[in-house]
Amino acid sequence: MRLASWEWFWYVVIGFLMVSGLVYFVTELNAMDIKLLWYEWILGALFMSIFMFMGQTFIASFKEFEPRAAWMTLVFMGLPNILIGAVLVGSVMSRSMS
Amino acid sequence: MTRPVSRKRRYHSTVSGRNIMKMLGFGAGMLGVVAATGPRGSFKDLDDMKSSPLAKRYLPFWVKEVDKPTVEIDWDNMEIMEGKHKTLFNPEAWPDINDYMKIHQTNIKSTTRRVQDKTPGLSLKDRALGDANCWGWGALSSIAPEWTGPDVEAYEKWEHPTMFYTPEDYGVPRYEGTPEENSQMLRVAGRILGASDMGFVQLDKNIKKLLYGNIRFEKVDKGYEDKKTHSFVLPDKELWAICSVIPQSSWMNRYTKRMSWACSNTAAYSQANIFSNRLNVFLRGLGYQYYGGDTAAIGRLVGFGVMSGLAEYGRAGIMVSPQFGMNFRTVLVTITDLPLAVTKPIDAGITQFCHACKKCGEMCPSGAISMEDEPFWGGEAAYQAKGIKGWYQGSKKCYSYMLGGEPDCSRCQTVCPFTKYDKAVMHDLVRMFIAKAPKLHRLIRIMDDVFGYGSEPDLSKTPWDLNPMDIPLFGRDPSRS
Repeated sequence: MRLASWEWFWYVVIGFLMVSGLVYFVTELNAMDIKLLWYEWILGALFMSIFMFMGQTFIASFKEFEPRAAWMTLVFMGLPNILIGAVLVGSVMSRSMS
Repeated sequence: MTRPVSRKRRYHSTVSGRNIMKMLGFGAGMLGVVAATGPRGSFKDLDDMKSSPLAKRYLPFWVKEVDKPTVEIDWDNMEIMEGKHKTLFNPEAWPDINDYMKIHQTNIKSTTRRVQDKTPGLSLKDRALGDANCWGWGALSSIAPEWTGPDVEAYEKWEHPTMFYTPEDYGVPRYEGTPEENSQMLRVAGRILGASDMGFVQLDKNIKKLLYGNIRFEKVDKGYEDKKTHSFVLPDKELWAICSVIPQSSWMNRYTKRMSWACSNTAAYSQANIFSNRLNVFLRGLGYQYYGGDTAAIGRLVGFGVMSGLAEYGRAGIMVSPQFGMNFRTVLVTITDLPLAVTKPIDAGITQFCHACKKCGEMCPSGAISMEDEPFWGGEAAYQAKGIKGWYQGSKKCYSYMLGGEPDCSRCQTVCPFTKYDKAVMHDLVRMFIAKAPKLHRLIRIMDDVFGYGSEPDLSKTPWDLNPMDIPLFGRDPSRS
């Protein structure tokens, strides 16, 4: 089977990573007995949305023969998303520490 | 007592979709393919075809239908072009024929030298593939139909003896539908026959100015070609123009400037003439008249495309579509007496975006595209259209560059930020912002460069180095086609 037919596979991988991450995150929060605040839910949703959008653009750009666009997508969406993730984790961690 | 027959039912019994397909030469096998791939399984007949979701004109919400096109037009100042002999592609249009011949000689020398030198991408096999791709278009290999359409004749021993029957042959009246139904029907048929998109305009006082001057109107039942005066006659009655655009390979287009085999534009012209014949046969099968429609053209094609809402007028002096960018080939204009619901011009913020973008102008290797900030009234050259406030292309520079020794170019079409594949959702978001947030235009142009769009591909690899199965069928990717 040609690689070009495997586009669905990469979306499954992304979906699996997202669901696994979410399950792990929620499990950890429960274990630590932490409840998320309203803005943390928003940050989380934003993080997930950007991650999905970034994944779609990254894979699609290779399909479009645009490798540079794919890597630039990681830079322009990935870095801000890491920041959002860091703020979210930092916020949760600081409350749990206190 | 005779039971009243509903209009819809009556139409079902006249010319069926199956017969139309047979007239087009598709036969049962093709019907099976259409049935397997169609959005609703299959079209049982023309009414079924018309009610398909494909038949409606769906524009994204950020594309508006507007009463006037986004390019300013002065219809009073619009001059009728004499005929195709006045286009830049004909020596007659050049003030000094020696200029034209010089370009031809340069082309022959340059092309021959590259073939002899076996220059990668410009070698003998690249030339051969390029020529093969554009067969069907051009003076000597043309399959362009006559002005009054192609001659069709069924092979008597064929399994479908009624192939190419007209309603008259069947003993039924010609197909009847409302203008809206007819437009929807054509839109579906157009996609099946090979057009990316279709628009419709009625030949009113203004639109007639877009036709060449060697087309005249007479009180006759049917149009004809007057070979003595090299002119064409249309019947003086209500007529409509079916404007169809033909998909062009984005994949090939990227190599066009550097390699002879990648003749995405001439390949599309070849397909255009095939489409043109098919569309004429379709109209013939319905019992309606059809004139022109091939790549020889019958007037100012960009004008027809803009007025029928297929695209907006762009900086390069050609059309830019919200769906296909600049990556389609020509507007085939077919004149018919089938009543049609017209499609209005569109506003997707494209002409406005061209003010800020200028990417096509910067990338144009011949310097033919205007870099002026604002559009202007122009059209002094014979091959240009006076009466439009736009950016006028220095077509002579473009033509001289393309034919003067380089392979066909199409660089402007490739680099246009609207020319994109449709895999990434991102592109539609960007188009939406272009339409709704003009202040972001400059930023969008910058980001288009940063992301590497429009840059030339790896030229060390030619198609001869690829896995054949990685090459899009017909060289044409499914994106936006």
